[in-house]
Amino acid sequence: MARSFAVVTDSTADLPGEWRKRYGIEVVPLKVLFGHETFRDGVDMTSDEFFTRLAASTSLPTTSAPSPGEFAEVYRRLAKDHDGCISIHIGAKLSATVEAARVGAESVAGFKVNVIDSQTVSMPMAFLCSVAAECASLEEATAAVEKRVPSCRVLALLDTLRYLEMGGRLSRAQAMIGTMLDLKPLLLVSENAEIKPVDRVRTRTRAIQRMIEFVRGEQPLERLAVMHAQAGDEAESIAKTLRPEFAGLEVPIGQIGCVLGTHTGPKALGLGYIKK
Amino acid sequence: MVAPAKATGVDGQLFKRALLGSLSWLAANHEEVNRLNVFPVPDGDTGTNMLLTLQSAVEDVKESNAAEVSKIAKLASHGSLMGARGNSGVILSQIFRGFARAVEGKSALTPAELAAAFEEAANAAYRAVNKPTEGTILTVAREAGRAAATAASTPDANVPRVIAAAAAGARSAVLKTPSQLQILRDAGVVDAGGFGLQLILEGMLKSVEESEPALAAMAETKRPVSPASQVSLDLPEGGWGYCTEFLIEGNGLDTDLIRGQIESLGNSVLVVGEPELVKVHVHTDDPTGVINLAGGYGKILKLNVGDMSTQHRRILESEGAAGKSRPPRPNGAGLAAVVAGRGLVEIFRGLGVDAIIEGGQTMNPSTQDMLTAIESVPYDEVILLPNNGNVIPAAKQVVGLTKKKVHVVDTHSVPQGVSAVVAFRPERSGLENLKAMKAEAERVQTIEVTHAVRDTRSNGVKVKKGDVIGLINDRLEFAGDDYPDVVKRALGRLGPDSYELVTVYRGEQASDDELARLESEIRSNYPRLEVEVQQGGQQHYPFILSVE
Repeated sequence: MARSFAVVTDSTADLPGEWRKRYGIEVVPLKVLFGHETFRDGVDMTSDEFFTRLAASTSLPTTSAPSPGEFAEVYRRLAKDHDGCISIHIGAKLSATVEAARVGAESVAGFKVNVIDSQTVSMPMAFLCSVAAECASLEEATAAVEKRVPSCRVLALLDTLRYLEMGGRLSRAQAMIGTMLDLKPLLLVSENAEIKPVDRVRTRTRAIQRMIEFVRGEQPLERLAVMHAQAGDEAESIAKTLRPEFAGLEVPIGQIGCVLGTHTGPKALGLGYIKK
Repeated sequence: MVAPAKATGVDGQLFKRALLGSLSWLAANHEEVNRLNVFPVPDGDTGTNMLLTLQSAVEDVKESNAAEVSKIAKLASHGSLMGARGNSGVILSQIFRGFARAVEGKSALTPAELAAAFEEAANAAYRAVNKPTEGTILTVAREAGRAAATAASTPDANVPRVIAAAAAGARSAVLKTPSQLQILRDAGVVDAGGFGLQLILEGMLKSVEESEPALAAMAETKRPVSPASQVSLDLPEGGWGYCTEFLIEGNGLDTDLIRGQIESLGNSVLVVGEPELVKVHVHTDDPTGVINLAGGYGKILKLNVGDMSTQHRRILESEGAAGKSRPPRPNGAGLAAVVAGRGLVEIFRGLGVDAIIEGGQTMNPSTQDMLTAIESVPYDEVILLPNNGNVIPAAKQVVGLTKKKVHVVDTHSVPQGVSAVVAFRPERSGLENLKAMKAEAERVQTIEVTHAVRDTRSNGVKVKKGDVIGLINDRLEFAGDDYPDVVKRALGRLGPDSYELVTVYRGEQASDDELARLESEIRSNYPRLEVEVQQGGQQHYPFILSVE
């Protein structure tokens, strides 16, 4: 590999499996805890295994960021054959991961780590990694990524707000969801990882239509992906609808991992994109 | 052509007396009007609605000693507009409005002018209605006007004769209504609203005939007209009034001071709380005055104005979590909805509705009720959801009565109302919201299940009193003897394959067992449909279903 710098992210990027190889990206796992059992996201437990366990579990799992030490370990290993590294992570508003990466980086002397708060989550992070990976130098990569951070968006359709609410990330009132009716909230994660409700509908079919309508209004886009948690068929059909409309974009499908899945719950769907 | 002007013209006090006569005659007979309601659901309220509208028209008139007919007519027009309830009430208010326009600037009317005013009143009513239907109160108003005009053109025309002709014209028009409207023919009744108008004209005639010998002395009559005080509507003590409740949020609120001021505006005053939040309860004739007063102290929250003349009044303590921490809306638009039933009220509140006007099928709120609620909404633009076909006309009257910009989304049912509110976005402009809300309301299908209150035939369905009946989007489609069966057939008619969610709003009368059987019937017959049950708490409809 001609590239002199490494690209690091965390498991909440929902990086498609083959992208690790394709772009040479290092993924640091966050952790999911069922009671006293700890699993490294995507390492000890796959997304499918997670949702199977979630369905059978009486209590909800919790999540935790990687430790600074774990980051330091990765950076130290990478320092052997790279002269620097860009480390792109889940928005600081949503997780302590970025902080852990910064602290970890400081403990590795003589190795330059540019830690990036992506201010987003999931596939837009993966896109940022791919952008970085295709740059010639660490400086160029850092500039290219930082330029795109404010343009990253995630539009999420949750089947229920229960998981997000339990995780303390958003209240029903903030999501414009009353306490009585079972409404499907459509949430937008925009700049600064701010989660705001953009729509609420009664049925899933309508919600999916609304997602598609919404993203049409966001054009032009530089990148676009569909994400899902245990809703592969729907994700596939959304991608099929969108691909002809966004000619020139790959529109990959990402699978929501264990940690993100803890907050979205099963049957979540998302669109991750970077605006031009 | 015009009869020689007699001294016996219609002046202000004669017209006032005629109106009071109308009121007492309609009050004595309004139950009969109610019974004529042809719609087979418990909707027998045409007479009550007209009576309440007329009562409101007369309310302002009663206090006036104006000698000019134009002034009395204007008061009646304004009062009826403020109190208009239901379809027929709104049309009645337009009749008064047309009459008032026709007599503008006149101190007394000749028989010919009176007849012309009757005719203009009918014309105004026609113009006010989107799709005028013959065989209704509109036809009766027109025929009354025509008969009055004919009588006025005779050489010996006088006021009592013109009114007598109008009443007779109305009566014969009412008798013909079944030949004009299939629905009346099927049910074997005459039109209720038309009959109500006939009673109003007859009441006028009675009062004028009685007093004819003393017409000259009319102007100085100060004696309260006895029939008016006989009007009995089984009102709570204290007569008309609004149970008004709300919270004031502010700083350093002085409960004693506020109590003292509110006490001057009503009774049963209760003002309790802390310097930051005070709860106010008052029975008042002037809820708007109370709200204006309280608004000077801080922000008004959770306003509930209940017209105590309607039954089943409930004090609603909505502690819905969503209501508390609601951020101000960037678009500056508020929401008001007409809803009845504890559960439904909470659902609407939870979805972000700022003001609830209690009412619905059998208790149509008045224009004034809706106006008061709209004034309480802390935004200058308000979207109003009537949630019942019978409430829509009165809701539309509110537009223009307030400085606020009011939009009415024509929601005909609770499910339509819920869909409309769900589509509301705080960051979208009023007009954009309106469009989206309308579109969503039209997307949902409504099934209402209730019992027939009389034998009838409607939409080709024969119904016996007590039958379970199913309505799809306000149209009677099925009659049967149990809820699950009627619902199953209604869902089958809609074609369950094109829908994914059924929301069942359970009414007050439905038992747990009935609910369980209904649910299992839907699930076993239409396994692909998702079923959600909500406690609506509505009356008269054991079940309301939303299909989408």
